[in-house]
Amino acid sequence: MSGTQVVQPSDLKEGEGLGRDAEEPLIRLEADIGPEGRFGTRILEVTASRVRVWEPDGVVSFQVPLADLKSARNEPLVGGGRLEVTTKSGEIVPVLAYSMSLAAKFSEAARGIEQLARGEALLINLKQERMRCAKCDRLLPEKDGICPACVSRGATMLRIARFLRPYQNQAIMLSLLSVLTTVLNLAPPYIQGTLVDQVLTAHRNIGLLFGLMAAWLLVLASSVGIQILTGRLIAFLAANIAADLRSGVYRAIEFLQLAYFDKKQVGAITSRVTQDTDRVWGFLVDGVPYFVTNALLLFGVIGFLFYVNWFLAFCILAPIPVVCAISVFFWKPVSQMYHRGGQKWARFHMHLNESLSGIRVIKAFAQEDLEYGKFEHRNRELRDAGVRADAKWYTIFGAMTFFTSLGVLINWTVGGYLVYAHKMTLGDFWRVNAYLGLVYGPLQWFAMINNWFSRAMAGAERIFEVMDADPERYGEEAGYPITGAVSFEDVRFGYDKSNPVIKGMTFTAQPGEMIGLVGKSGAGKSTTINLLCRFYEPDAGTIKLDGKDYREIPLKEMRRQIGLVLQEPFLFNGTIADNIAYGKPGATFEEIVEAAKAANAHHFILAKPDGYDTMVGERGAKLSGGERQRISIARAILHNPRILILDEATSSVDVETEKQIQEAVGRLVEGRTTFAIAHRLSTLRNATRLIVLEKGEVKEMGTHAELMERQGVFYNLVQTQSAINEIIGVGT
Amino acid sequence: MDPKTLRLFYEPRDRLRLTIGTERSYPTVKPVWAAPLSRPGRYLVLLDGKGEEITMIANPKEALPPESWAAVQEELRRRYLTATVTAVLHAKVEFGATYWSVETDRGRRDFVTQNLQENALWLSDHHLLLLDVDGNRFEIPDLRALDSTSQRYIAAIL
Ligand SMILES: Nc1ncnc2c1ncn2[C@@H]1O[C@H](COP(=O)(O)OP(=O)(O)O)[C@@H](O)[C@H]1O
Ligand SMILES: [Mg+2]
Repeated sequence: MSGTQVVQPSDLKEGEGLGRDAEEPLIRLEADIGPEGRFGTRILEVTASRVRVWEPDGVVSFQVPLADLKSARNEPLVGGGRLEVTTKSGEIVPVLAYSMSLAAKFSEAARGIEQLARGEALLINLKQERMRCAKCDRLLPEKDGICPACVSRGATMLRIARFLRPYQNQAIMLSLLSVLTTVLNLAPPYIQGTLVDQVLTAHRNIGLLFGLMAAWLLVLASSVGIQILTGRLIAFLAANIAADLRSGVYRAIEFLQLAYFDKKQVGAITSRVTQDTDRVWGFLVDGVPYFVTNALLLFGVIGFLFYVNWFLAFCILAPIPVVCAISVFFWKPVSQMYHRGGQKWARFHMHLNESLSGIRVIKAFAQEDLEYGKFEHRNRELRDAGVRADAKWYTIFGAMTFFTSLGVLINWTVGGYLVYAHKMTLGDFWRVNAYLGLVYGPLQWFAMINNWFSRAMAGAERIFEVMDADPERYGEEAGYPITGAVSFEDVRFGYDKSNPVIKGMTFTAQPGEMIGLVGKSGAGKSTTINLLCRFYEPDAGTIKLDGKDYREIPLKEMRRQIGLVLQEPFLFNGTIADNIAYGKPGATFEEIVEAAKAANAHHFILAKPDGYDTMVGERGAKLSGGERQRISIARAILHNPRILILDEATSSVDVETEKQIQEAVGRLVEGRTTFAIAHRLSTLRNATRLIVLEKGEVKEMGTHAELMERQGVFYNLVQTQSAINEIIGVGT
Repeated sequence: MDPKTLRLFYEPRDRLRLTIGTERSYPTVKPVWAAPLSRPGRYLVLLDGKGEEITMIANPKEALPPESWAAVQEELRRRYLTATVTAVLHAKVEFGATYWSVETDRGRRDFVTQNLQENALWLSDHHLLLLDVDGNRFEIPDLRALDSTSQRYIAAIL
């Protein structure tokens, strides 16, 4: 899965209309915006000697020799971008524009043009991305993603069904009970019919009356029993399958690579654990039995109707297509209305939540009326949406009732005539009448099943997408001693492959050294750390731990040897002791206290009424920034890593607190390989060596004194900072 | 700064230049709208090559000399690739994604939106901005100005 590839000229097909030119195109890209800014196609073509733009009619509208070019870049525009080249004379020339959909490709193209202009090998990644589904030609929601309309329903269904396997006995039981329920449902009307024919119209066999009633009682008792059993089975299956699905998805999400989280919002991921799993098990446990039972019932009743009298059956069933049609045609708009109502509710909730969280600000600015106005607006929206949806619902429901009642009316008309003419017994008439109610009811929900099914399938697809995504390769745990030597060898990396953030980084850190990473914001310091922690892996080059490519070391073991203290420490909701012990589950209280002492946290913890049992609140919100930081340091101390990483650990606290944290850090770094990033350069004075980064490259390396002497990049950074500090009067 | 003293023109062909009166000149200017959605056509900011503000003009259409305004309009047209929807030809929700086919001031276009709660922004009761899955922008400045078919599609989906 290498991100880069050498583009072979033979891989690229030659377009029509350019046949006469002997030069082979090395890069050929279609842009989606024409010359006047209208949507349309133009083709960018780069050969070994020039950059050209072809119009769809085969005219070359732009052309520049590669030899004249110094660089190429992508100018971001609103809703798209523009490829621009800079000539050797310094002139910036726009080449063509493209929409956001093509931005990544064109930034690769810009890189390619630069490489060719400099006479280097063409090393770009212009893989063909599928924008449309190969099967149905629909636009894909995600490039190269799955087409939601074309996923194989059968395969997905089978995969869902696999979740039933641990409970197959219960599932089989449930199916059998469903069939039994159907049969039992059909029994009472049948008994009634017999009663009418043999006893009531005949005026004899009174003994049979009691016999039949006894049978009915038996049916009643057993169907109640079965109902209870079915209910309990469903509850059991629902709870178990839901739990299995949630754990499965959660476990899969835990092991996803961080890059996945960059692309998706947390909310979207959470909904896969909650909503999507709900849809799937809901369908599996409620939907399938519902469907099966009613389908059986339907066929049973239709069969019976035809057995009794085919003509009557035919007449009675005539309105069924109409009922189905109404259900299909009107279900969608109504469900859409309810769906929209649901969205309005969600927005209402969000707004309410926000305004209550911001109640201090509202009060401070005396904006209660303004907020009430907004609230009222949403509230009215909600009211109107509710009225509209319900009004429509009752109208359709009414129409549906009319057609379902029509069945009964037809039965009385046709059936009544047949009984009158002695062509059918009163008992059969009675049975037919009773069965009608059983069939027409479920038919109203005919369309709902399809909708239910679609939603469940979509949910299942999203779940399986997570489960199938490439996980981090954790590897087996094995005692793997690491002394803490780290080396980067020509490491290159970009979050987005087309935009390198680390460009060929090489350095070595000996065990026990403290390395300070210095550079302007955005230079790539945190990215270096991310690579070291293997949250991301290098695109090229290697990172070695103890002289061994770190990809060969079991990930779990490697992470166990790394301690991380971030600028914004993340604490989990729980007690202070819990949070410190997170670094070493099962730590004794003495160890926790010791770590807290080393982190200069013991003192302030004791000052709290609940001491180590103080709840820190969500994300540690009940503590101050400095307190949170010291707890996260205690957590790292207890973790006792070989490699320690401090990413701006003291940047967001005041100078006094910083001093305390510095002290704690001083104790923490002893004997460990430490990487420290600090905004205040003076705090890195103790570092064994400093590495100065600029735009993803190592600019300088050496001790504090050496770098100051050299009067280079680092010297300038220090000068600027002390000048600023003097002005704002911050002590160093 | 009096906008009447601003002279904007292309030189060379694709670079927008600015001279102010006789004393100052900027070889590269980038015009940006300060609030393109809520205050369209107003509050134009001119940025220099480094992205620093040169000046803000509240009513560029009236304030700038006509030739300068024409040059700025040309540059804005190149920079703002937002498409203004003139008609919705087709729109359909399927499996969580919404498939659109629209006619815009830049021509016909098909696109997909996902998660409409986040990607359909109501800027006022009748002003809508749609963001497709790639981040392309489709603006409907006034829903009421669309034909009834288009309005029905939007009403059915949003
Ligand atoms: N998760 C991410 N996705 C895409 N780009 C990122 C991400 N994190 C950082 N970047 C970009 O990478 C560059 C380097 O960032 P970083 O390493 O965080 O810099 P710093 O030296 O300030 O810590 C920046 O241009 C930043 O915008
Ligand atoms: Mg950083």
